[in-house]
Amino acid sequence: MFRHTALRFWTLGLVAAAAVLRVLTAEYFGLELVAEIAILAILVIALDMVAGFGGMVSLCHGALMGAGAYGYAMLTVKAGLAPPAAFAGAVAITGAAAWAIGAVCGRSQGIYFIMATLAFGQMAYSIVFEQPAFGGDDGMSGVPRIDLSLIGVDLNDPRSFAFFCLLLLGGVYWFATHVLQAGLGRTLTGIMHNEQRMRALGVNVWRIKADMFGLSGMIAAVAGALAAQHVMFVSPGLLNWTVSGEALVVVILGGLGTIIGPVIGAIAFVMLKHEISAHTDYWHLFVGVILIAVVMSRANGIFGWVEQRLSRARKVTAGDAIDAQGRTDAAGTRARDDA
Amino acid sequence: MLETRGLSKRFGAVHVTRDVSLRLQRGERRVILGPNGAGKTTLFNQLVGETRPDAGQILLAGEDVTGLTVQARARRGLSRSYQRNTLFDGLTVEENLGLAAAVAHGHWHSIRHDSLTRHDVRDTVREVAEQLRLMPHLHARVGDVSYGVRRQLEVAVALATRPLVLLMDEPTSGVGPEMSRGFHDLLNDLPRDLTLLIIEHDMDLAFAVADSITVLNHGEVVFDGSPEDARGSRLLKDIYLGHWADA
Repeated sequence: MFRHTALRFWTLGLVAAAAVLRVLTAEYFGLELVAEIAILAILVIALDMVAGFGGMVSLCHGALMGAGAYGYAMLTVKAGLAPPAAFAGAVAITGAAAWAIGAVCGRSQGIYFIMATLAFGQMAYSIVFEQPAFGGDDGMSGVPRIDLSLIGVDLNDPRSFAFFCLLLLGGVYWFATHVLQAGLGRTLTGIMHNEQRMRALGVNVWRIKADMFGLSGMIAAVAGALAAQHVMFVSPGLLNWTVSGEALVVVILGGLGTIIGPVIGAIAFVMLKHEISAHTDYWHLFVGVILIAVVMSRANGIFGWVEQRLSRARKVTAGDAIDAQGRTDAAGTRARDDA
Repeated sequence: MLETRGLSKRFGAVHVTRDVSLRLQRGERRVILGPNGAGKTTLFNQLVGETRPDAGQILLAGEDVTGLTVQARARRGLSRSYQRNTLFDGLTVEENLGLAAAVAHGHWHSIRHDSLTRHDVRDTVREVAEQLRLMPHLHARVGDVSYGVRRQLEVAVALATRPLVLLMDEPTSGVGPEMSRGFHDLLNDLPRDLTLLIIEHDMDLAFAVADSITVLNHGEVVFDGSPEDARGSRLLKDIYLGHWADA
């Protein structure tokens, strides 16, 4: 079950404050990093919703993000739709596609679910790669950003765009945690714990899985539409399974099933990538070593590790308090006996 | 309330249930007895839809539910508890009950409201927890409570769906005699309009709770009558009760 613990609130507050401070003070490169982190964080929140709370480890979330990006690009560049309408259209279309994928794959479990989602993802990749209408291997350029000049905001300004990405990340975080605490999220968690029992209680299991996968796909599409606006270009690489794999790495690195953990994971992943790739082309190697260390530590990612440590510290403190109380009681008893 | 007509199921050459016909009235409490391998659990699996019968019909409140899925039957009021605990171990007792109650009140699919904090769900959770004497454990994680409490919770989760008919597969399985006696009172305290069908090996519990008794042997109904008749039945002594009846 998703729970808003004090630690999660504090972490969220700290991350939000640090991000806003960074946007206010950073130069161009720093702002680009904030936008990149925010977009990745939205994608991994989408993945954590289904993997962390429904046991649906998806290898097509990269493709869903790519579908959002291509949907937005096609609707603006080819169909000539206004960017806000194209944004909403891309999210809706991708959500519908994700629902269908969830409805089909939701009938399988474990490795079969992973393979089925991988197959869907790669099908989407090959369609986009092969079809000239999508620009083929060359992709599509000239993707516009949403025009917010009516409220005096120019999203072509990197600072405004980074703020816009953070704002959407905040909205997505609120939406995801709200859904996970609503009936749909609770039921999905029940299914992850014991699918047979939930069915015996009267739950239509595949429908719940499909609905949550659809919502998750919509969030992935938000990340995709933002990614398309960020670089003003889309290419088939966005839909490749490696994007899904990378998202999964980030979720595990941050803390599966915590929502805030994957956001931390996104920050760590992007920062590591940029810092290490400045010195060597083998940055994946270092990320791999860190991932192995995280997995071997048996903690649930970076955030899970912090939660575990604090929980242990609290237990020790509580134990000390009980011991101290016990010593006080014993001393009182002795004093009474002596008297 | 619940009726089966000629329910039959074969696994290869083995007839696990053969032409089983039962008729339970509203509020009736029937215990199914039978030696191991008599087909009791397979009968339950067919009733709730986990196993498809080869032949026969199942009627719930007059409606033919034979072709319906497990979840569709459950939503129509057919609920079951299992012989082995099938709980949500990582969650608290309250959350376990809340998940079931949310289904009963139709909040399991909402994306707007927290199903566990809804008034009707909370009321049901409290009511069922009181009925099954789970109030002291409400906030404990299921993994942290005793086996006996888990057996109570197993029944409570099924009850929280507000069923018309509750099927209980050996509710006292694995618990000691003391705990088993506690279960008599728990089951007798359940609402009288709830129809109960119970598989049980504990004879004391069976005779303390049952309005009627059905005995299965090799998948066939070999006895159907009152507990008093069951006590005096020579056939039962021969096939099932053995030394217990002579004691």
